[in-house]
Amino acid sequence: MIVTNRIVFRPVQPADYLQLYTIESDPTTAMTWRYRGNLPDISEYEPALWQQTQQIMVVQSRATGEVLGYVQLHDIDLRAGHGWFSLYAGPEHRGSGIVMEGAMAFCEWVFTNWPIRWLYAHSFEHNVHAFESAVRRGITERLGVLHERMMVDGELTDVHVIGMRRDNWMDSAMRRRFNDLRARQGNVL
Amino acid sequence: MSNDHAAAPADAGAEPGDPPADQPLGSWRLVSPADVPFVYHLVAQVDPRWWRFSRHGLEPSQVLQTAAGISAGALVSTAEGEPVACALLADAGASGTGMFEYYALPHPVAEGLARHFAPQLLAAAFNGAPIRRLYYERFSGDADVLGEAAAAFQLEVTFPEFALINGTYEGRTTSVLTPESFARWQTEASA
Repeated sequence: MIVTNRIVFRPVQPADYLQLYTIESDPTTAMTWRYRGNLPDISEYEPALWQQTQQIMVVQSRATGEVLGYVQLHDIDLRAGHGWFSLYAGPEHRGSGIVMEGAMAFCEWVFTNWPIRWLYAHSFEHNVHAFESAVRRGITERLGVLHERMMVDGELTDVHVIGMRRDNWMDSAMRRRFNDLRARQGNVL
Repeated sequence: MSNDHAAAPADAGAEPGDPPADQPLGSWRLVSPADVPFVYHLVAQVDPRWWRFSRHGLEPSQVLQTAAGISAGALVSTAEGEPVACALLADAGASGTGMFEYYALPHPVAEGLARHFAPQLLAAAFNGAPIRRLYYERFSGDADVLGEAAAAFQLEVTFPEFALINGTYEGRTTSVLTPESFARWQTEASA
């Protein structure tokens, strides 16, 4: 668990599933990598949510208790030392600082709790802008584009492959600032 | 489906191990369940390069379970009928994509035969399934089994330092072949 003044980053609980389902039911989220528009019925949601998934962490507001989004760690390959992640946020929180804080909490958590050298993410063309800031800061790298990889909503869509190197996160100024701020706030447990 | 050849065409771009034009060649045929022991042998011989199988180690039931998810495959054999290479079509899905995985036993004759038959196997993959984009992944240190057909592929993704192989982290690339780019390559290669 990671705590800041604004968020709690913690493992998902069954009581969170309905909120996660609501986030994923948003039309703009339903067209992301995982379900590609085929979100299962709520009765089949739990096994679908955990398919190929090692861990799910939620980003919760400390002020309201609302689950703002979640991060899925999936397809871990311990022999190679890498895994994949998917990040989901409620539409009203996308692009906000609080989601960025959740993303930083995820980086800190995953690289200090899993023996992973690289994290990868797939992103459809219409979502790849979410990684721009991290690419500019050298936290993430563009590894390539799978052109016309998927059929989404009847149209062929490019899939970008984003990579995050453990050493880049551990040595980053962003990480230092994140943890310094947590320490000053008294939020380092 | 199979394809026997009496002799290889003259190949100006031949590499060591490629079959000489005046010697009998091998053949290829579709994989059958009876070929599973050879596939396991091949995976073990190139371990851990055939990552689909080796990523979890080589516990046989795990390898069999992985093999069960394969759409189709072909075996390359010498003129004497000894299998030396295997190509598999995996992850063929609704989006019209598939993964072409192709490995040869680690010796020059096997790799040469693999290169020789690569164009035919790629053609068979497109003929046998409605694939609009065929992906091929390889480690930087993998043996060349595509030969000149590699020129028809476009590089799309590079994963640096993907996995540890013999003490060194090797990168892994994903390249793609479309029916159109393959047809263009075939036309140019035969010109």
